Amino acid sequence: MAVKDLKKPSKKRKQTTEEDVPAPPALVVGGIEMLSDEEGGEDALSDDGRVDEFPEIDTRSDSEEGESDEGDTSDADEEGDGEEDEEEYDDDFSDADSLHVFPKAKTIVSDITGQPKRVYPEIEPEYDSDSSTEDAPNRVGNVPMHWYDDLPHIGYDINGKKVLRPARGDELDKFLSTVEDPSAWTSAFDKNSQIDKPLTTEELDIIRRLYVGEIPDAEYDPYEPTTEWFTGKGKEEVMPLSSAPEPKRRWVPSKWEKQKVMKIVRAIRQGRIIGSKPKATSKFTFHSIWSEPSSSNPPPLPAPKPRLPTNSESYNPPEEYLPTEEERKEWESQDPEDRERDYLPQKYSALRLVPAYDRFIKERFNRQLDLYLAPRVQRFKLNIDPSTLIPKLPSPGSLKPFPTYKSLKFSHGKERARCISVSPDGAWVISGDETGKVSLWEVNVGREVKSWNFDSKIGALDWCPRLDVSYFVVTVEEKIHFIIPPNIPSPILSLTQALLAPVSLPPAPSIPSPVKWITPPTSRWSIDTPILTANLPTSSGLPTQVTWHRRGDYLATVSTGGTQGGVWIHQVTRRHSQAPFKKVKGAVQMVLFHPLKPHFFVATQQYVRIYNLSEQKLLKTLQPGIKWISSMDVHPSGDHLIVGGYDRKLCWFDLELSDKPYKIMRYHTRAIRSLHFHPSYPLFASSSDDGAIQIFHSRVYNDLMTDPLIVPLKILRGHEIRDGLGVLQVKWCSRQPWLISGGADGNVTVWCS
Amino acid sequence: MIPATWKRYQLSQLVNKALSLPKPVPFDFLVKGEILRSTLGEWCVENGAGEEETLEIEYIESVMPPEKVSDFPHEDWVSSVSCKLQGQFLTGSYDGYIRSFDYSKSATSSTQAHSAPITSICLVPSASSQIVASASHDLTAQLTQINIGPNSKSTPLATLHLHTAPVSSVAANNTGTQLLTASWDGIVGHWDTSIPESDEVPEVAPNERDRRKRRRVDGGGKVKRKAPVGVLKSHVGRVSRALFSIKQEKNAYSCGFDSTVRVWDTENEICVHTITASEKPFLDLALPRDPQTLLASSTDRTVTLYDVRLDSKPAAPVSLAHPATPSCLAASSQGQQVVSGGYDGMVRLWDLRSTKGALASFRAWEEAGKVLSVDWEGNLVGIGGEGGFTVWKVGDGA
Repeated sequence: MAVKDLKKPSKKRKQTTEEDVPAPPALVVGGIEMLSDEEGGEDALSDDGRVDEFPEIDTRSDSEEGESDEGDTSDADEEGDGEEDEEEYDDDFSDADSLHVFPKAKTIVSDITGQPKRVYPEIEPEYDSDSSTEDAPNRVGNVPMHWYDDLPHIGYDINGKKVLRPARGDELDKFLSTVEDPSAWTSAFDKNSQIDKPLTTEELDIIRRLYVGEIPDAEYDPYEPTTEWFTGKGKEEVMPLSSAPEPKRRWVPSKWEKQKVMKIVRAIRQGRIIGSKPKATSKFTFHSIWSEPSSSNPPPLPAPKPRLPTNSESYNPPEEYLPTEEERKEWESQDPEDRERDYLPQKYSALRLVPAYDRFIKERFNRQLDLYLAPRVQRFKLNIDPSTLIPKLPSPGSLKPFPTYKSLKFSHGKERARCISVSPDGAWVISGDETGKVSLWEVNVGREVKSWNFDSKIGALDWCPRLDVSYFVVTVEEKIHFIIPPNIPSPILSLTQALLAPVSLPPAPSIPSPVKWITPPTSRWSIDTPILTANLPTSSGLPTQVTWHRRGDYLATVSTGGTQGGVWIHQVTRRHSQAPFKKVKGAVQMVLFHPLKPHFFVATQQYVRIYNLSEQKLLKTLQPGIKWISSMDVHPSGDHLIVGGYDRKLCWFDLELSDKPYKIMRYHTRAIRSLHFHPSYPLFASSSDDGAIQIFHSRVYNDLMTDPLIVPLKILRGHEIRDGLGVLQVKWCSRQPWLISGGADGNVTVWCS
Repeated sequence: MIPATWKRYQLSQLVNKALSLPKPVPFDFLVKGEILRSTLGEWCVENGAGEEETLEIEYIESVMPPEKVSDFPHEDWVSSVSCKLQGQFLTGSYDGYIRSFDYSKSATSSTQAHSAPITSICLVPSASSQIVASASHDLTAQLTQINIGPNSKSTPLATLHLHTAPVSSVAANNTGTQLLTASWDGIVGHWDTSIPESDEVPEVAPNERDRRKRRRVDGGGKVKRKAPVGVLKSHVGRVSRALFSIKQEKNAYSCGFDSTVRVWDTENEICVHTITASEKPFLDLALPRDPQTLLASSTDRTVTLYDVRLDSKPAAPVSLAHPATPSCLAASSQGQQVVSGGYDGMVRLWDLRSTKGALASFRAWEEAGKVLSVDWEGNLVGIGGEGGFTVWKVGDGA
């Protein structure tokens, strides 16, 4: 309904125009009302409208009627609209037909009135009828001519015979005809007869008129003198047009109106109609805004005064205010919000040469935006050079030495070189593979000097960190072997033998341990067999990790199976083993001794727990946020820990800072396998299943304020990925910045600086 | 004025003509320390020198491409070679044997000097007999008399006992009276070559586990245990090589993993000069003919030429860059040329006047293998390493 209401006015207007069309004389009348019987009703209504004002009465019913009337009229309007559209359509057609030239009219002086009048020539039925004499035999009508495109004819003549398609030349003919025929450019294609027809002079005249913008009809005179039909000289109307007597109602007061008024008057007298009370004007109270004390709020700040214009804003500023070419360029290159001033001084020799204010529209627009609470300036994305966001790290070249190239490689054949260890003096490497072979070789020649064979896969091996004795431990299935390397000086050899196989065995511990320590008898000692073996309890599995305490007396092993998380701490001098944990939550991945304090790091699948071994309590639980920890290493200072996971993350913990990582790095594309801090250089390395080793510079400062500096230095590639395994272990050479890496491809590689 | 299209050949002809040599000698040409391999015009374009500039071109006698002479396959790696013995090649191997070969590729002697790998051998020049000094992983060096001949037996003369870590090198002086041993324990031992009458170092208590020592005690009762004349202590890391100076008898040089090259006065057993490099663990030394310079190879893949004069201003040392670790060096006794062997199996020939690139390089063996030792005597270069021992002919036969 609302939509209809909205539409109503326009429709009414249309209706009126439509009503105007059939009776143009009524409009031209100019003041005089034409009274006719048919229009009487309408007139009466309009008269009613003019009748004196009446006090407002509740005329709800009337309005309803009006509405319904309007609804009816709107329906009628719609119909009328339809008709109107059709009429317009017809009009269009008549326009199209009007291309046919009318016979010219002559203007002669009428014999009767003495006035000039137009006379059209007589139409002769034989020749002059509008179309029959024309040479237009095609009677197909106004249909799209492409219907006949595929047919040989183009329509039918009045007798129903086919009108054949006139021959049309190809494009070349068309072109030649345009060249040869001087009248070709004044001919047009007649769709109906499908040929080019030369335009007549009248048509050309119409085209010319259209071209110059005149009225196309040459006959039409827009400036005809007004003909005053009824008021002109000698044409004044003195007699009414109609002879009907003037109706009585024109001068007699209406009886029905009087009755109606009286009815209302009576109702008012009887109190049935109560006039609405006057509006509550008395409620409006004046109050003095000045008399009251000011409120606690501070008065609104006065608007800032606009800055006074300066010399440079003058239309004719002194020369020194004019910008130079560079200043102009700089000003134009800046963003509008970055500019120091929002105009450029310009010089005009006279005020009349000053052009219109060019930013008027822009300022109006900005004002509108302000009123609309819209931001004036579209803020672009922060335009920051990405290189400035990268933290400033020293260049790797300034952090030399670090390993840069593959110096040599030692091959284990096809077997995976699972574990490697470097002697404390940095001269020898032992590497163990999965067939049970342990090789001892020189770091910088790569020649195997000695090898030991065991009957099962080597789990881990590590060199005792003591310098006064020389031996290493090798773990195989449920066994830990202690082996003395060859070619060591006799004092060290005898001391090592005295340590590992003393003449008088230490007293057995009070609590019997399930770990049995066995030394073969002296007569069966040989360089090829271990001098001491610790048998772990059965079904404890393969010890996958062995780590020494700094002093070289205690070592810890982590086995794959067994209870207590598989963690054992062995003391070599007392030949005693103990399991420090009764129960460990989660599978233990790795253990480490703190290099300085009696602390013990235990990495389970997701957490790293730090225990105090002397007080036997849990100190801290680190949460690396790694799904499965694979390796960890503690900085030689003991304050920092790196933890690597199978989910490629490497976390750096500052142990004094927090139990959350100080830094998380994800540089590897596959699982991290091994981590190692260099014992003396500020370096650490990480190896991964992607076959790459990454070298980091890690400088740790003594003052607690400075964060550790971690700089990625180098990616060493050279190990092949085999069965999805890359570099299984990395170890640093203790006195040189050299790295030794064992890979799944069976090669142990030495990377030199 | 020389045409820019000239190459080595035209220049060589020019020099030959100018010197009016009776027999044409091929020359190579150095332009700003670089061997001319292309035309002069191309060199100018590559190095950005204008063709109008004056170029200083130095001519050197060109080196014929090295040719392989013979191959001596070994079962184990050859750690050290020596060509100093006239008509013979000496090799020390990782299986502890010292072998000798004559030029007709036949083994002339073989003796097991050590049960542990031999790291270095050298010939002790003497008039009467052939004495070879060898250093080994078993912490000793040994003097062995080699008797050339199919059935002759070599006799160990004395073992040198000082070191507590594997001995990395042994070297004798020109006259064959003194020896230097370098060891991993950072000590350089100074010995004379006289064979003592009795043991100078007491025998340690025989240990049942040390069968090697026991056997030596059993087998060679007449092997004397010899003590050093002096000990040169100054290195803080492993000493990789110690050599006597060629000209000055009492001077010696040593280099080590502590990135230093030290010059010693062996009479007073003091270090008179120390050249400290930054982070260059040195692997080998060589003394070119010029007595004031010294070449040292290090694990950072360079061979560096140092000036060992005491009063020399520390100039920027010249470096020869290698693509792999240069493990060994040998200097020619005649000229400015040096060979270096690398862990990539390549042996490179350098001219010290042209440091930008090697004069020639060749692969010692068909298969890849580390070169561990080179020695240059005359025009023969002996190369020992992972693939055994080969001899190459380098330079003209003059």
